[in-house]
Amino acid sequence: MQFKIEDLETLLSGEIVRSTTEGSLLINLDGKEQILRILKFATNEFEFILGHSFHHAKILSSSSSETKMIIDGEPLTIKKHSKLTEVLKKSISSTGAGTAENNLTSQIPGRIVSIMAKPGSSVKKGDPVVVLESMKMQVAVKAHKDGIIKEVRTNEGASIARHDLIAVIE
Amino acid sequence: MTNKIKSILIANRGEIALRVIRACKELDIKSIAVYSDEDTRSVHVKRADEAYHIGQAAASDSYLNMTKIIDLSNQVGAEAIHPGYGFLSENENFAELCEKNNIIFIGPKSKAMDMTGDKMKCKAIMKKAKVPTVPGSDGVVDNIEKAADIAHSAGYPVLLKSAFGGGGRGIRFANDEKQLRQEFEMASAESKAAFGKAALFVEKYLQKIRHIEFQLVRDSHGNSRHLFERECSIQRRHQKLIEMSPSPVVDEKTRENIGKIAVRAVEAVDYLNAGTAEFLRDESGNFYFIEINSRLQVEHPVTELVTGGIDLVKLQIAIAQGEEIPFQQQDLKMHGCAIECRINAEDPFYDFAPSVGPVPNCNLPYGPGIRVDTYLYPGCLVSGFYDSLVAKLIAWGTDFEEARIRTRNALAEFSIEGINTTIPLHKTIIEEMNFIKGDLSTDYLDRFNLLDKMHEKAKNRLQKNSPAAVAAMLLQAEYIKKGSSSSSTAAASSGTSSDNRRHAGWNRPYTTRRAINAI
Repeated sequence: MQFKIEDLETLLSGEIVRSTTEGSLLINLDGKEQILRILKFATNEFEFILGHSFHHAKILSSSSSETKMIIDGEPLTIKKHSKLTEVLKKSISSTGAGTAENNLTSQIPGRIVSIMAKPGSSVKKGDPVVVLESMKMQVAVKAHKDGIIKEVRTNEGASIARHDLIAVIE
Repeated sequence: MTNKIKSILIANRGEIALRVIRACKELDIKSIAVYSDEDTRSVHVKRADEAYHIGQAAASDSYLNMTKIIDLSNQVGAEAIHPGYGFLSENENFAELCEKNNIIFIGPKSKAMDMTGDKMKCKAIMKKAKVPTVPGSDGVVDNIEKAADIAHSAGYPVLLKSAFGGGGRGIRFANDEKQLRQEFEMASAESKAAFGKAALFVEKYLQKIRHIEFQLVRDSHGNSRHLFERECSIQRRHQKLIEMSPSPVVDEKTRENIGKIAVRAVEAVDYLNAGTAEFLRDESGNFYFIEINSRLQVEHPVTELVTGGIDLVKLQIAIAQGEEIPFQQQDLKMHGCAIECRINAEDPFYDFAPSVGPVPNCNLPYGPGIRVDTYLYPGCLVSGFYDSLVAKLIAWGTDFEEARIRTRNALAEFSIEGINTTIPLHKTIIEEMNFIKGDLSTDYLDRFNLLDKMHEKAKNRLQKNSPAAVAAMLLQAEYIKKGSSSSSTAAASSGTSSDNRRHAGWNRPYTTRRAINAI
């Protein structure tokens, strides 16, 4: 199996050769066989010794194509890379576009300072829709996709909570 | 007149509330915490002897609500109030309210705060006290001839500042008299249009400046001491990021000279308790007083470590109850070096956007010379209602290099799940060549392209972590395979989808919220 780390160009190959003693695996990383000693083997959390160094991995989210994890304290996104994934990706993105969420929500609570995009206006992904104030800072909540602002569900001066609906973009 | 304080209400939250609670416990003083709706489960509530709910999440309803805090203090019999930093700490009306209610405000008197709080008033007092200030006008300049005279004697380039601006707004730059005349006209027209009168200051524009401040204490018997300098030049948009002591450009003689000036500054306003005199230092080594911060500073631990362990909060309490400062100026010796990194809940990879939410887990560094002042604990909440400072990492070493290496290693141990923080930026600065050389200035981050360097370093760490990440992927596949006979596959996938929310910081949440799994 080949893997691709987000933001890096190179591909890495990895597979399990066989399990050796109890709690250990012989794995092949980029053509090099290594012993992987498992210390913790739980849902979404692994601790292991690879070569002679300890590693800790916490899986944050995982889908058939992409896994987000914290590895040794650092965030990282990794994708399984295969021709099949490429094909799948294309077919899903072409047919699945209409089903993508239209709702733009805020991940941070705050107070709406200004509304940048009025209903009926068209926005590109990344355009600021509203500006809110949080932690004494002003932050733009940006459009998550291209489209037309169907409605804005908040007002200037309003306090919003996490996950509150801000606008509908179609 | 010494009368031991028996109870202190802490009108603050977060790490500084915890810091004051610890000092109270050492002194056997009853600590009384206050909290908003948002802070019900915050650590200061758990550690204080008593905790009282004072209102809704918004600071104006809780930590800034003077009436509520004073009423509560009277009701529960708090003898003193410690304001921490931020919130009401530099509010002279609050200090006055405490005075009227016979509650000891742990800080200066309202009269002194009134003087330190008004920049122009303070500058005039300092000039009289022969404390060097930034060359320029003493007050508002209403005509161009006067402005040109002042600019000429201060030396170009100069800045024109609107009296009504603030936070960088309304500032105009002039390289020579011709430009000054043009800019002055435009700036006064602007000011007239907006406020009905032209209110401009002229100030010398200082280049490649360092921010160096002196810690001061003054007791009610008139004894003043300075506790050396802290260099706080590494800033982003006027917010300090890293503070250290000693400053690489302050030698023994300069420390003594500027220390004396700083003492003169606090005496000029009849200051009481702990405060900080802030200076700008230009490239030729001139120091210019800018202001007095009339509170305990965020970066006070740096001073505590290099003075061989003077506890500034305990000293504040001692001064507040009428005691004399227990040491002479000549007793103080600079002891090693300390560096503080402010860990803010902001994403340095995304224009420092605030990053808030639950922190499911965190790992704080320990070890020789390491101190972490924080309100974080596994399962805590970083709220968007308050300041973004979540932790301070302070490292002490016998010299700068030892303190720096300890900081570097502690940053590597420090992990905070669920939110993005400034840790990656600190990791970059602490190993950056010019930081190591001590070539600091308030524009350090831009001057040496630190953000680009941070991206580069992050990429290197990704590279380094790649093999282990692949190994983790293999383990996960194995885990799912092993559990496929039972329902654990389903459990794992549903578990991760709820994790998406908990690990919001991961997901660049301030832009959009999309299902992570959507392609």
